[in-house]
Amino acid sequence: MKRLNLILLCLLIVVGVFGQEKKKKPSAYNKQKQSQEDEKFLEKQWWLGFKAGANLSKANVDKTYSVIAPTNYDASTIGKQYDNYTLLGSQATLEVSFYFKRFLLSFQPTYQHSRFSYSNSFEWSSTEEVANHVQLTFDQEQKLDHAILPLIIKYDVYGNRLRPYVQIGAYSAILLNATKSVTTTGVDNAAGGENEFATETINVGATDLFAKYHWGLLGGVGMNYNLGNNVRLNFDVIYKLGMSNISSTDNRYGSDRLSGVGDAMDDLTLDNISVSLGCLFPMRFLSSGFKTLDK
Amino acid sequence: MLQKNFSVLYIVFTLLGVVSCSEESNPEFDTQTFTSIFDNNKFDASYFPIDMRETPDGGYVILGGRKLTDTSFTGIYLLKADKFGNFVKEIEVEETSVNPIADFVEYQTKYYFFCMDPLTQVAQIASVDANLDAVTITPVQGGLTYPAAAAFVENNFVMLGYNNDDKETVISILNPDGGILESQGYTIGTGEDVEEPIINHYIRTGKQYPFEVGKTSGGLYFFNGFYNYTFSLVFTNFGDDPVGVVQGQQNDGGFSAVTPLNGNKFASSRFNFGSNFLLPNKELSTSGITSSTDLGGYSLPELVPNANVRILRATVDSKNVLIYGSDTKSKQIGLLFYDESTGDFISSRYLGFSNPFEVASLEQTSDEGLAVCGTTYLAGRFPRICIFKLSKDQLISNATAE
Repeated sequence: MKRLNLILLCLLIVVGVFGQEKKKKPSAYNKQKQSQEDEKFLEKQWWLGFKAGANLSKANVDKTYSVIAPTNYDASTIGKQYDNYTLLGSQATLEVSFYFKRFLLSFQPTYQHSRFSYSNSFEWSSTEEVANHVQLTFDQEQKLDHAILPLIIKYDVYGNRLRPYVQIGAYSAILLNATKSVTTTGVDNAAGGENEFATETINVGATDLFAKYHWGLLGGVGMNYNLGNNVRLNFDVIYKLGMSNISSTDNRYGSDRLSGVGDAMDDLTLDNISVSLGCLFPMRFLSSGFKTLDK
Repeated sequence: MLQKNFSVLYIVFTLLGVVSCSEESNPEFDTQTFTSIFDNNKFDASYFPIDMRETPDGGYVILGGRKLTDTSFTGIYLLKADKFGNFVKEIEVEETSVNPIADFVEYQTKYYFFCMDPLTQVAQIASVDANLDAVTITPVQGGLTYPAAAAFVENNFVMLGYNNDDKETVISILNPDGGILESQGYTIGTGEDVEEPIINHYIRTGKQYPFEVGKTSGGLYFFNGFYNYTFSLVFTNFGDDPVGVVQGQQNDGGFSAVTPLNGNKFASSRFNFGSNFLLPNKELSTSGITSSTDLGGYSLPELVPNANVRILRATVDSKNVLIYGSDTKSKQIGLLFYDESTGDFISSRYLGFSNPFEVASLEQTSDEGLAVCGTTYLAGRFPRICIFKLSKDQLISNATAE
């Protein structure tokens, strides 16, 4: 269903683009006056667009939690090892921007699917019998779906057909869905040989384990390229810096299935770098045949 | 223009609103709900809890057992956890004392339990402070042997033991210093076959019998133990013969847990050839001889055969409830909530997953939550002590569910 919606949206965009009338050249008589009006007109513009792309995430631990409490060894030996910027996520963004003298105030509601993972290992061994040794590794992957609501200020550093820009802003995120999967692998030497084993992956709905809301700051760069026909191709890179905890503090142990395998979510913030490609369309037109800007 | 300004303001205030809703760390949440598994990385180590008490600092002290290599008896293990469930301290008590038993009793500023001398099998009374700074162990007077269960009643201990010379189950009242105030023995019957399951219980090579002892609201003492060839619930006033007996089925049936309510009413559970029956509010005959098989009860096929059962009387949101904790076939700890006044089922909750979990102790905590102490088997094989702490809200949701 999501794919169908995406295809329909793309079709609408394409139809919109080709539905624009061709530009009419102004007559020589009115050229100078028209140019002044255009310049004034071009000081302000509303833009509407759509972009999509991929993202990578990094977890920053504020406080670590564990179900396993070691009694005769250091807790750091079973600490979680986070794999940062390794699992690819995706996002789709609707952009509404208001342009005024190279500055844009942009609201970009985004559906973001992000992933991050961590693992931890446990070992039990005997000092008397070397073969008595068992090692377990838990690999845990988190998949989070958020509605991201960013408010961004952009500045076009150069204005022509190719328009690079820088951007800063803040965002709030609303949790839509979360899942966790746990895969256990291990080596058991006590069975008489090196017995490597893996258990079936546990998939758990984990929405209750994550904060309903979080927020952060963002910054990035990008560029627009005027394709003509009132269409701008947009390339956008944003780094989101998580500022608040994404874990639920009152429901950390809410999943018996995860607690049972020794897992409890840390307090952590999530950074995310996203790369998107999309297109933008002006919403204000010159009176003569949808002409807009970009000399 | 005004409309646009309002739109921008709307967005900004929405953002601010969401920021104000962001998740903040709260240490109180961390004490209200947690799960802790206390792990030792020695392959041969084996620990299991027997009973648990909350300490005045909000932490927990756990009386447990540990596997010993030089004897078949169980070693004594004490563990202190803080109010967040973090490990604080452990004590592996020397092997000159073994086989600790429940109840782990809080009295004044100390925590008491009974254990025994592995050579003489004479019962010992042990005490420890809330921080596990020192353990004191002294033999009880009168040569009482093989302690099986204990309770604290009216500032004295009631201890159930076994006298293998006379083949008697012995119930005794002792003062906190271990002095005997009253004691009476009741025959288990004659023959080695009768004694065998008792000895197997002590050396943990056979079924672990749910020995219990206590006092009814009517003034009679009771014990759940062997009497006259049968595992029975026996009521006594320390006379030569019991006042009443609710018989089991030799070694294969009887009560798995007993908690006196009011008058002759009890919250109990029974086992019978592997089946389990819960009796949340049942009148028992405290005089004469009756049979537990006539009592019926809620049959729970989800429980393991001859399941281990713990019963806690709790007041949740001004409602008196009975919380049954037991071991399920799915290797979880099952909590079943019943209305104390009617015995009606209210709700259930299951704890644990993946690794096996077994219940050992239930306690309502000072924050009106519930602490459940049990055994889990890490990697499916290493017995370790665990605590599940449920919050007051979680408890209310179970106790008041319709």
